[in-house]
Amino acid sequence: MSVPLTLLGLLERQPSHGYDLKRDYDLWFGHGRAVPFGQVYSTLARLARDGKVVMDEVTPGEGPERKRYVITEVGATEVDTWLTQPVAPEPHQQTVLFAKVVLALMLDRPAEDYLDTQRRAHLARMRELTETKRTGGLVDGLLADHGLFHLEADLRWIDTTSARLDQLRAQVKP
Amino acid sequence: MTAALEARGVALSFGETPALRGADLTVLAGEIVAVMGPSGSGKSTLLHCLAGILVPDAGEIEVLGERIDRLSEARRSELRRDRFGFVFQFGQLVPELTAEENVALPLLLSGVRREPALRRAREWFGRLGLDGLEKRRSGELSGGQAQRVALARGLVGDPAVLFADEPTGALDSLTGEQVMELLVDSARTQGATVVLVTHEARIAAYADREIMVRDGRVTTPAVAS
Amino acid sequence: MIRLGVRLALTGGRAAIARLALVGGAVAVGVALLLAVLAGLNAVDGQNLRYAWLNSEVTAAATGPEAADPAGWVMREDYFEGRRMARIDVAATGPDSPVPPGMTGLPPAGEYYVSPALAALLATTPADQLGDRFPGRPAGVIGDAGLPGPDALIAVVGRTPAELAGIQGATTITRMVSVSPQDCDHCRVGTGGAGMTLILSVVAAALLFPLLMFIGTATRLAAARREQRFAAMRLVGATPRQISLIATVESTVAAVAGTLLGFALFPLLRLGLVRITFTGERFFLGDLSLTWVNVLLVAVGVPLGAAVAARAALRRVRITPLGVARRVTPRPPRAWRLIPVAAGLGELAWFIDRQPNTTDGQTAAYLGGIFLTMIGLVVAGPYLTMAGSRALARLARRPATLIAGRRLADDPRAGFRAVSGLMLALFVTTVATGVITSIVANRGVTPVGTATYDNLSVGWYPDHGGKLPGPATPIPAGLTTTPGVKDVLVVHYQGIIGNLPLGAIGCADLAKHPELGQCAPGAQVGAVYADLSGPDFGSTYFDASPLTLAELATKPVNSFVVLTDGSRAALEHSRTLLETAFPAGQFPATENEWRSDFSRTLVQWQRLADVVIVASLAIAGCSLAVSLAGGINERKRPFALLRLTGARLAELRRVITLESAVPLLAVSAVAIGTGFTAAAFFLRSQLQYDLKPPGASYYVLVALGLGFSLALIASTMPLLRRVTAPSEVRND
Repeated sequence: MSVPLTLLGLLERQPSHGYDLKRDYDLWFGHGRAVPFGQVYSTLARLARDGKVVMDEVTPGEGPERKRYVITEVGATEVDTWLTQPVAPEPHQQTVLFAKVVLALMLDRPAEDYLDTQRRAHLARMRELTETKRTGGLVDGLLADHGLFHLEADLRWIDTTSARLDQLRAQVKP
Repeated sequence: MTAALEARGVALSFGETPALRGADLTVLAGEIVAVMGPSGSGKSTLLHCLAGILVPDAGEIEVLGERIDRLSEARRSELRRDRFGFVFQFGQLVPELTAEENVALPLLLSGVRREPALRRAREWFGRLGLDGLEKRRSGELSGGQAQRVALARGLVGDPAVLFADEPTGALDSLTGEQVMELLVDSARTQGATVVLVTHEARIAAYADREIMVRDGRVTTPAVAS
Repeated sequence: MIRLGVRLALTGGRAAIARLALVGGAVAVGVALLLAVLAGLNAVDGQNLRYAWLNSEVTAAATGPEAADPAGWVMREDYFEGRRMARIDVAATGPDSPVPPGMTGLPPAGEYYVSPALAALLATTPADQLGDRFPGRPAGVIGDAGLPGPDALIAVVGRTPAELAGIQGATTITRMVSVSPQDCDHCRVGTGGAGMTLILSVVAAALLFPLLMFIGTATRLAAARREQRFAAMRLVGATPRQISLIATVESTVAAVAGTLLGFALFPLLRLGLVRITFTGERFFLGDLSLTWVNVLLVAVGVPLGAAVAARAALRRVRITPLGVARRVTPRPPRAWRLIPVAAGLGELAWFIDRQPNTTDGQTAAYLGGIFLTMIGLVVAGPYLTMAGSRALARLARRPATLIAGRRLADDPRAGFRAVSGLMLALFVTTVATGVITSIVANRGVTPVGTATYDNLSVGWYPDHGGKLPGPATPIPAGLTTTPGVKDVLVVHYQGIIGNLPLGAIGCADLAKHPELGQCAPGAQVGAVYADLSGPDFGSTYFDASPLTLAELATKPVNSFVVLTDGSRAALEHSRTLLETAFPAGQFPATENEWRSDFSRTLVQWQRLADVVIVASLAIAGCSLAVSLAGGINERKRPFALLRLTGARLAELRRVITLESAVPLLAVSAVAIGTGFTAAAFFLRSQLQYDLKPPGASYYVLVALGLGFSLALIASTMPLLRRVTAPSEVRND
């Protein structure tokens, strides 16, 4: 689960205070588990060091919790790259995929296209695994089958989500 | 590489309901393509148009360089008989005929004499692991055996294009994979082009590339990789 | 390709074999009957030819070898126990006389030759009832070549030339006539070939039509059952024409098998046919044969016709490679379909009081009207089915009635097709029965105890060449005392007086027998017909003759009328006495005997019609069976699902019953009503008769036909139960 990129994405949506960021993250991406404050702030610090976010003086005279973070050009480019590039077709990618879809919807990006791109990547990987099954031995084949089933599960999710994008959009961006 | 199949702007409606709204597609000779899409997307209809089963309301379809969308019913039947092979999901074997007669059917319809046709048919039984089943009726075959017989029938005439519409839809996953392996191996050996319609990703993974159909249109770029 | 079709036809499992058997059986019945009809046609012609020599008095038509010695010849009709007898008196003048077939020479004077049947009668009948009529002694038996049929009664009596010259109607011949009576203008003996041929041809058509329709139905249904198979074949590239061919092959194979079976059945039928006398005279078994042309025509024509019918039936059936994915509701039949039937009945009605003048004109008018009505019924059927079923659906209170009504209304053509054969069969039966019954009632044979049966008369008619006996001619000796003779009346010849009949009788004599009719009150002499038949047009009195009793006694004798008790002995004895007393004129006969030939023929035609109807009903039943089975199979899944979700089997049974029984009864009623109407119009127009209610056999036949069909419907219930069992609804 890519916390930095998710936080960047949320920041692209709107500049936020650290506290608000954590609250949004927990709401959309926490899946029942709250992210520790420390992780949030240290991630933000790293992002700032890398020039992907800058701090903004909003309310003069407040403590560190009232500092507002703003995304930079570099950060926005990173988010864009992350969204448009498919993730590597590996098993257990569902949380990442989910984050990408939700953020794409929040940011008014073409979520359908992203999903299509992901599907293509998944299928290409499945083709490779199928080839392995046909040409390799039984053990390689069993491992490949395992991968294939999981990728198939992901693809099923992609298909279902594609069909539900409009509903999801209404939820995410009321 | 020559294009074996080409569709340009194909549109077809069933009564009021449009099934295809301008589909474009190119399949190169020897390619195995998987046509995927949600149900109701028009993928089966697209296959039917490519195979000369249905005539589109608009658009052009070229097979091996020849326009087929304007041909007569009889000519298109002959095309299917001589240049195409078919493996569909259900019920395409004729119950009154034995397995070998079913396989020989396209040859018999072309006018090949009975004995040579059956001989050519029997060659396929060994290749597809169907030894000993030549004289069985379709009702006496398991699902996988029946689909392999259908595959043999599809390939017996040395077709240029093999059309498969959910060929493993009625089979369990292991049997389905066996059938797909045989399909792909045989097609590659004979150099046949394959157009495979499926909604299952693991079946589509046997193809060289996939083509997405949504709402009557092909959404994948029509260029082969 | 054809081999493929044959394989498919023969290996379709029990259902296919059953279909084959059904079509084959129907074809076999149809072919056997068709062959019987053709044999009958041949026999009629053959028999007609056998009658030829009896017409030898028509010297203009004689074409045989010329004999050197001319012979005297006269042929007269006699009767014995209601059977007609041919009596030829001949007088040879030399050794080289014309010789009829079946004989080696003419009998010399004092001898006579008889047919075998007559010889048998002579041996068993008292001479005073038969043998005494023939002067001389029996000297030989006529061979088969000279007989129209094995039961024919023929006597050739040898006379001297002087005796012969005195007989009314005698002539001299040098050649025998050997042309068929239908080719001879003035020939009296023999059947009107044209009429018989026409009737038999109509019968052949009436057999073929339901048969071909049945084959069409069976083929269409077989193709529908095979839809999935044919779709699979279309997928791999069979052209529509190839599929048509394969489907046609199945029906043709069945038709070929049925034809062969029909040929095998024909000899049996032939044996039965020889007992039926269509022409009034039984056929020789040898005459009931088929020519090579007949055999070829049927052996090739029926399978060919079946193939054509099957092909035509398939034109509407389009099998696509994907099977029929969507069912399109066909267009409903329109009201214009009622026009032909109305036109046919209207045409017949128009001809009432406007009878065409020539026989050809009449044939064209009446047969045309009846055919138009028949075709009109077939055309109107779907419309009537739709109208009736829409009413049924609207008035339905139970779901079964609603389903049945809707289904019929959606596809009335299919619902009607199943019962159309039956409708035609009923229409043809009704017309034939209505016409024949009424004719027979008006002109038919009456039983013992009626004047027409009991009273024998012998008369002389000057305008036909008869020489009137003198006024004082006595009643032949022994006649009044013959047991069974009640009275003998003498009618005198008064000649042409105004519009009165030519005979006259004393009213006192007539008054003794009031059942014959009475004179006008106060009259002394009544004007009567020679045979004392009833006064014209239902008036109760004979008109008075202007003669006085004294004048009456001076007039020559017109006829003698013998009133008997109707017993055979009395009639034949009286007849024999009269013949021996007056050997030179026409022979005595009862009114019935004049009528009997015609009505006997009619009754035979009725029997033939009955046979045809039974066959048509059988074939119609097969059509119904095939349609029912097909209809049930087509709706296997929906019905099975209905049962699963709680509909009782009884409800489904109601649906099937209503769907078939309602059109069945409705079209039966229409067919019977139209048939009687057409018969009534024809009778009024051609014969000025009223339609009489038919006899019991008609009702029995109709009940049988309807009962058989309803039984067929009932017999499909077990099929329904089996076909909608829960195991049919598995999802594999």
